[in-house]
Amino acid sequence: MRLAFYPGCSLEGMASDYAESIEAVFRRLQIDLVEIEDWSCCGATAAHSLSEAMAVALPARNIAAAEKLGLDIVVPCANCFNRMRFSQVMIEKGIYDVPWPVTGKIKIHDMTRLLAEDDMLEKIRARTVRPLSGLKLVSYYGCQMVRPPRITGYTDYENPQTLDRLAEAAGAEVLDWSYKTTCCGASIGIGRRDIQEALTRKLIVKARQAGAEAIVVSCPLCQSNLDLIQAKESGPATPIFYFTELLRLALNSGGRPQHWLRKHVADPLPLLREKGVIP
Amino acid sequence: MHDDNSGGRTDSIRPRHRIGDRGDHFLKRVEGETGANISACYQCERCTNACPVSAFMDVKPHQVIRYIQIGWRERLLSCSTVWVCLSCEMCTTYCPNDVGVAETIQHLRKMAANSAIQPRELQLATFHRTFIEELQRFGRVNEFWLMGALNLKPGILKDKIRTGALKEEIELGLTLWRRGKLKLLPHRCKAVGEIRTVVQNRNGKVR
Ligand code: SF4
Ligand code: SF4
Repeated sequence: MRLAFYPGCSLEGMASDYAESIEAVFRRLQIDLVEIEDWSCCGATAAHSLSEAMAVALPARNIAAAEKLGLDIVVPCANCFNRMRFSQVMIEKGIYDVPWPVTGKIKIHDMTRLLAEDDMLEKIRARTVRPLSGLKLVSYYGCQMVRPPRITGYTDYENPQTLDRLAEAAGAEVLDWSYKTTCCGASIGIGRRDIQEALTRKLIVKARQAGAEAIVVSCPLCQSNLDLIQAKESGPATPIFYFTELLRLALNSGGRPQHWLRKHVADPLPLLREKGVIP
Repeated sequence: MHDDNSGGRTDSIRPRHRIGDRGDHFLKRVEGETGANISACYQCERCTNACPVSAFMDVKPHQVIRYIQIGWRERLLSCSTVWVCLSCEMCTTYCPNDVGVAETIQHLRKMAANSAIQPRELQLATFHRTFIEELQRFGRVNEFWLMGALNLKPGILKDKIRTGALKEEIELGLTLWRRGKLKLLPHRCKAVGEIRTVVQNRNGKVR
């Protein structure tokens, strides 16, 4: 299987650990990721805060590049996925012209949904050598991956399941809670830390109340918000895992976890040791 | 579980009209430019109840829609709501009349950004502009450079020193640096010229 890969800007910086784990997991699953050559930023929130035409055009360059390769795109970042789907829909509907040829003949997958398909889960289960037994998690999807449904295509947007299935395939126990798709505050902390902290802290508190020892996410911004807010906390941390990190652990695909998990602020190593996942 | 990737009810996405196509009437104008179904709102307040930050807004989401209906432009462009809104799409998703509340608020944010009215949230307004400037410069956005560029904008640093946010930001930067999460050198795209053209033509043609 070959797919065009659009990493997005975060994966070069704050989410470099996400990028590493994706590479390791896809290598282990023998899926070829072809990075879109010279990809450019999708425009994120800023573009559609200033001009809709720009918000449609910026992702289109990358979609056109993938069409040229004749490959479907897989996107790890929830916001990039949302912006690319938005662009594709608006071009398909003929609402905006863009300078690059986009025909809409390829699919844009968010990475969780691609890997949560039955055959993929089968593959993951078959290759799991280090099940994360006893690890109690809640899954957190945030906004951009699931809403608005007419762009993302999710019909279970109130109670999405992709991360749940993936974490379960890795052997973890996934608990129910009501905050799967409640906003973490996104980048509002840039100007209004009070709002950011109120929203992010609530998620951590609710996850702990639900009995979770860790949270599994797929969005780089959600990860850093939930992780960094714990920087000043004392007491046991609630690690925020990218779902690909859980898979990488379970599949034991390359590297020492003690080394590649060091980028977390809420340190996951004590919890993983306690559960006997790592020595 | 879910639809195929071609998406759900895209038939509710309507074409856009140029400014002026529908006259100067504020409601008609905003409806035309956003394709949103603003006249259909019957003030049920589901949008406001679904909104995670309505408590921090001076004009609540359902009021935004009402104010457009009655044409209260100045109030809308000077409110904090347009900057505080997270684009989380809860309001749009739960509106029984498919009004497109989030898209409407985003559109008002654009109108506010392009107007002479002083934005209620200077830092957030400046952030969006700076982001696009960085995008234009490199084709991609580097978090470290973005924050640096933002701090150099008029009024930002002074504000951050006053509120103590600068100290926190430096601590945060150090935390990230120690964990290898900061990429100090930005990557420059080869296609940066093409991207610049898109950004410069951003108020260009709507079909
Ligand atoms: S949910 Fe829709 S109909 Fe109800 S108040 Fe909000 S915009 Fe109006
Ligand atoms: S998109 Fe904005 S107005 Fe709508 S629910 Fe989210 S934060 Fe509130």
